[in-house]
Amino acid sequence: MAAKTRNLFGGGGGFARLAPWLMLIPGLGFYMLIGVGPSLATFVYSLTNATGIRGIPIGWVGFANYQEFLLEGARSRDNLAALRRTLIFMVLVTSIQFGVGLLMAVLVNQKLRGRLVFRTMFFVPVILGVAVQGLMWKLFLRPGGGPMDSIFGFLGLESQFLAGSNAFYWVIVVQIWANAGFTMIIFLAGMQTIPADLFEAAAVDGATGWKLFRNVTWPQLTPAVNTNFLLNIVGSLQAWMLFLVLTGYKNGTQVLGYVVYAEAFGQTGTASFRQGYAAAASIVLFALVLMLGMSANAFVKRRERKYMA
Amino acid sequence: MSVLIDNQPEPDIVIERMVPPRDPRARRKRALRKGISYGILFLFAAFYVGPLLVLIFASFKSLPEFFRNPTGLPESFSLGNFTEAWQLANFPGYLMNSLIYTGVATTLFVIMSVFVAFPIARGYVRGAGALLTLYVVALFLPPALIPQFQLILNLGLYNTRQGYILLFLINPIGLIILVNYIKSIPRELDESAAIDGCGYVRFVWSILIPLIKPAIATVTVIHAIGIWNELILATVYLTNDELYPITRGLIVFEGVYGSDWPKLAAAVLMLMMPMLVLFMFLQRFIISGLTSGAVKG
Repeated sequence: MAAKTRNLFGGGGGFARLAPWLMLIPGLGFYMLIGVGPSLATFVYSLTNATGIRGIPIGWVGFANYQEFLLEGARSRDNLAALRRTLIFMVLVTSIQFGVGLLMAVLVNQKLRGRLVFRTMFFVPVILGVAVQGLMWKLFLRPGGGPMDSIFGFLGLESQFLAGSNAFYWVIVVQIWANAGFTMIIFLAGMQTIPADLFEAAAVDGATGWKLFRNVTWPQLTPAVNTNFLLNIVGSLQAWMLFLVLTGYKNGTQVLGYVVYAEAFGQTGTASFRQGYAAAASIVLFALVLMLGMSANAFVKRRERKYMA
Repeated sequence: MSVLIDNQPEPDIVIERMVPPRDPRARRKRALRKGISYGILFLFAAFYVGPLLVLIFASFKSLPEFFRNPTGLPESFSLGNFTEAWQLANFPGYLMNSLIYTGVATTLFVIMSVFVAFPIARGYVRGAGALLTLYVVALFLPPALIPQFQLILNLGLYNTRQGYILLFLINPIGLIILVNYIKSIPRELDESAAIDGCGYVRFVWSILIPLIKPAIATVTVIHAIGIWNELILATVYLTNDELYPITRGLIVFEGVYGSDWPKLAAAVLMLMMPMLVLFMFLQRFIISGLTSGAVKG
C-alpha cells in the first residue's frame, strides 16, 4: 500500500511533489463548490425562509416549511396529491417501460433482418432532450386533426390529449417513449453476455421459446434486470421536465419535482420565489427517492442471491 | 459496449442450428415466430417514427395547408419554413450560444477531470479512495438546484455566460469513467517516464491523454449532449434573450409562434439535426458512456 501512494514524479521535491495536488484542485474545487456543497446545503435552506431575490435577508424558520408543505391547508392537500401522483407516475412508468424495454430487447436480439435499424430507432429519442421530445409529441398529440386525433377519430374515440383531463397519462406515454430505448440497451447488453452454450444445452434438452426465456435468459439477465428496475424507479420519481414542455404548470397534473421547481422559481402563478419552502419540498422528494430506492435495492439483492448463487 | 453495432453470435443462430431444418413443423413454427416478431417490431416502429415523420411533413407545409391537412404528406417540399424560422427565432444567436456553452464547459470539464482522475486512479494523492467515494455518493445526494441558485446569485453570476458555464463543470459519472479507464493503463509507463525525467503535467498532457482517448471521447460526448439538451437550467439562470441556448430559444419560439406549427416543426428539426448527425458518427461512445454509468452498480 505504501508503494501505491508514492508519487513517481516527486523525485525533485518542491513543485514536482505537489503537482498532483495542485492540478487536482481546480476540478475538485468546482465539484465541491457547485456539486457537493449546494447538495448538502439543501437541508440547511429547507430550514429558512430564503427567497430567490438578492438582498432580502434570510432567517431561520425551523421546520415550518415542512409543516406547511405537508400539513397546512389547501396547499398541503395539493402537495399530498402531487406526492400521490408522483407515486402513480413511478409505478406506471417503471412497470411499462421495464416491460416494453424487455420486449424490444428480446425482439431485436434475434437474428432478424433490419434489427440494427430497429435498435437505433428505439434508442434515438434518449439523446434528443426534453425540448425536442416534448415539442415533437405536442405536434403528434395536437387536438383538432393531429395524427393521434385522426387515429382516435378513426376508432370512434375522442380525447383532448394534453389539454384534457387525461393529460397526465399522455405525459406518461411520452416519458416511456423517450426512455424505453435506454432500458432496451441495458437488457441487450446483458443478453449478449449470456454464454451461447447455455442455450445450446437447454435446446438439446428440448427447451424452446418461453421455456428457454424463463429458465435461461431471465435468470442470466439478473444484473440487467436489477439495474433497470432501480434506474427506472429512481429516474421516474425524479422526472418532471416533460410536464414543463407538454402541459405547463397546472394544478392537478404536476408531480413533486415540478412543484419544487415551480415554487422555487416563481412558476406557480404567484411569481413568488419561495426557495426555503421549495428546498423542504425537494428534501421530501429526496427522502421518497432514498426510501423507495433502498427498498428496491434490498429486493434486488435478495433476487441476486436467489439467482446468482 | 457497442450494442447497436456488434455482431456476436446470438442465441437464435444457435437454436436454428439445433432444429433440423427439414422438419416442416419446426420450420412453420419458426416462420410464425418471425412473423409475430416483425409484427410487434413494426408496431413499435410506427410509434417511434410516426412523430418524427409528422414533424418532417409539417415542416414543409404552408400554414393553410397544415390546417387543411395536419398529418399527411406535404404538397410540395419547399424550405421556406426553415429559412423563416431561422431568421424569426434568432436561431443563429441561440445556436452560437449553445455551441459556446457546450464547447467551453466540456473542454474545461474534461481537462480538469483528467487531472482529478489520474492521481485518484493511481493513488498519487493521499486519501485517493475517499476522494473517489466523494464522487460515487454524488448519485445519492439531494438535488443541488436551490443552493446552487443562491450561490450563483450571490456571486453576481446570475444571467451571465460565465455563471451558466460554471454549472456544467461537474459530472461525477464522467469522472468515474475516467478513473476506471486510467486504471487499465499500466503503471510501468509512469515509472519509465518519471525515470526519463518527464514532469507530471507533461506526462498527463502528452502521454496519458493520448492513451485514454476512448474514455475521453465517451465522457466528452455524454457531457456535451447533456449541456446541449439542457432546458431547465437555461430557464432558471438566463433571462436575457441574447444568452439563451437553442433549447430555451425553441421554447420561447413556441410561446410566440405556437400555433404556426410548420415553422415550429422546422425549428425543432434544426435543433435535432446536430444531435442526429453526432449520433450517427459517435454512437459507440454515446452508448458506452450512457450505459457504463448505469451498469456499474
